[in-house]
Amino acid sequence: MAEVRTTRTVLTSVAAYATLIVISIFCLLPFIWMALASVDSNAKLFLKWPDSWTFDNYLRVFNKEDGYRWFANSLFTVTSATILVMIISGLGGYALSRSHAWWKQPFLYAVLLIRVLPSTALLVPLYKILLGLNNFESTLLRPIFGENIRQAMRLFGFIDGYLGLIIVLATGQLPLALWIMKVFFDGVPKDYEEAAILDGATLVQRIRRVLIPLALPGLAAAGLFTFMSAWGDFLLPLILLSSPELQTLPLGLFRAFLRVNEIDYGLLAAIAVVYLIPAIIAFSFARRFLVQTFSGGVKG
Amino acid sequence: MTTPMIELTGVSKRFGQLEVIHGVDIAIDDGEFAVFVGPSGCGKSTLLRMIAGLESIDDGDLLLNGKRINDVPPDQRGIAMVFQSYALYPHMTVAQNIGFSLDLKKVPRAEIKREVGRVAELLQLSDLLDRRPAALSGGQRQRVAIGRAIIKQPRVILFDEPLSNLDAALRVQMRAELQKLHQELRPTIVYVTHDQVEAMTMATRIVVLNQGRVEQWDTPIELYNRPVNSFVAGFIGSPRMNLISGTIIASDAAPLFKANAGWSVAIDGRQLASAVGQPVTLGIRPEDIRPVGATETADLAATIAIVERLGAETYLNVRNGEDTLLVRVQGDLAVRPGDAVRLAMNHHAFHLFDQSGRTIAA
Repeated sequence: MAEVRTTRTVLTSVAAYATLIVISIFCLLPFIWMALASVDSNAKLFLKWPDSWTFDNYLRVFNKEDGYRWFANSLFTVTSATILVMIISGLGGYALSRSHAWWKQPFLYAVLLIRVLPSTALLVPLYKILLGLNNFESTLLRPIFGENIRQAMRLFGFIDGYLGLIIVLATGQLPLALWIMKVFFDGVPKDYEEAAILDGATLVQRIRRVLIPLALPGLAAAGLFTFMSAWGDFLLPLILLSSPELQTLPLGLFRAFLRVNEIDYGLLAAIAVVYLIPAIIAFSFARRFLVQTFSGGVKG
Repeated sequence: MTTPMIELTGVSKRFGQLEVIHGVDIAIDDGEFAVFVGPSGCGKSTLLRMIAGLESIDDGDLLLNGKRINDVPPDQRGIAMVFQSYALYPHMTVAQNIGFSLDLKKVPRAEIKREVGRVAELLQLSDLLDRRPAALSGGQRQRVAIGRAIIKQPRVILFDEPLSNLDAALRVQMRAELQKLHQELRPTIVYVTHDQVEAMTMATRIVVLNQGRVEQWDTPIELYNRPVNSFVAGFIGSPRMNLISGTIIASDAAPLFKANAGWSVAIDGRQLASAVGQPVTLGIRPEDIRPVGATETADLAATIAIVERLGAETYLNVRNGEDTLLVRVQGDLAVRPGDAVRLAMNHHAFHLFDQSGRTIAA
């Protein structure tokens, strides 16, 4: 009997591992292709070993193309949106956790609805609203900035401006972050704040010296989620940005892919790798906090 | 007469429509160890939080050292509090936790260090100052929480069920340490617990609370010997006092208590003429009943239902008809469930309560 069981166990293990290995290879292949193609002097559509190793593709991303600008634009808009989300979700999550208002549950579910509805479906009305705001803003700002109105709108405009993209990116990520922070604060006992009150801490001191340190794992998780998700967003910058100076990394990648005369696989792969790196770095940070946040609250 | 340290007069609290504290009047003297005790939901923690300033007071006055402090913010009351969960800041070391209130007051570093050192030595925490709360045992966390309270040299320290998260052995040890601390520093302590053993062992005075009202307010032994009603009688003392329903019957020698279950017992040395014929509750503590041999006079014959042999003493759960009585016997008693037993009661240790539960005066 024992003999049979051992054989069977070995067989099932082999089958399980074989399946897993096949799935892993399937998942990893695009990344391997990308990594190899980005250092291949003659990259092709098919997976192959590089003809000769070169960093030329990367140099072209930054020297011939607008790589630096794309990267800086992406980093600036996504980081700003992330900071905005962390501030709002931190304050809002705390309020939603501590409040007993009757509208709390309906509000939380309504907010989640924003996340559930496909944003693509809302693109047209969203664009109309932003366009209206943008026109209103430009009539307000024209007297102040005069000649420099184009530059000002590039910073503060709702359409084809940093501010609009940052706000829309942040809005899209806020519901999940708000939920993360609300659930996180639910796990932080009120005792900490009351102890701080009795220790003589003012509201600002309580937030800065007690609540923020306690909320840090939750804030980190919410922030990293926001960063990773907003970093991957392609549709919103595509719709909202048109000026070449405002292009972000995914748009650069997309436009390089669309060039009709020839497809430069080496260049595309290099842009893709550059685009991936911040997401991977963010994830490696996130792992630690995600486990802590989703396995429950503050351990005293 | 000296001014009490804490005085509550007609203090009430409502949560929405529900009144949870009904006009409480208490005065706690300087240096007292006052314990609020009562079943869960009796309002004892709410009352403590009202003294701390964490809950508002809807009616009545709260006086600290003669000064009304209803509207004084919590940190300016000169009151410290130890929470049930300890509420140690997990991101700070033991030293930072203890010194946090001084740090907030912008006390110079060197002085904070000196004060933290002094408190840590008092509480035997000197070796643990650089640790985080997560790396401490339950008893150590408890001591850090106490250190955080006493470093402010408060006039009053409030404790909210501080020992309920500790195991039994540690609880006994911490009880002794708290008493020692009270004797050394002489602060006024208000201590909330649902455990009447903690109340009896540590308190100078006990406030028994039930459903937001003060039932009785006295020294532990007074409460034990002279409870004003059946609630206090049943709550104070472990194991609980036996409470038996019955009526008073007039008789030639002494008035008789006739239990509803049928048995009766004479009540010596009391004038109960006015209570004759009325339904009453008889209270007798388990240690005031003893099993007797065949030759001695007995008050009651019963059957043993449960035996708990603890070594130094034995608890017998006995039955007579509908009535169940608990008997506490010194030493080990080798009896079995089902055995018949004859019981004698201490006729001077009876408590009698009227229909509303109030003690019938002797």
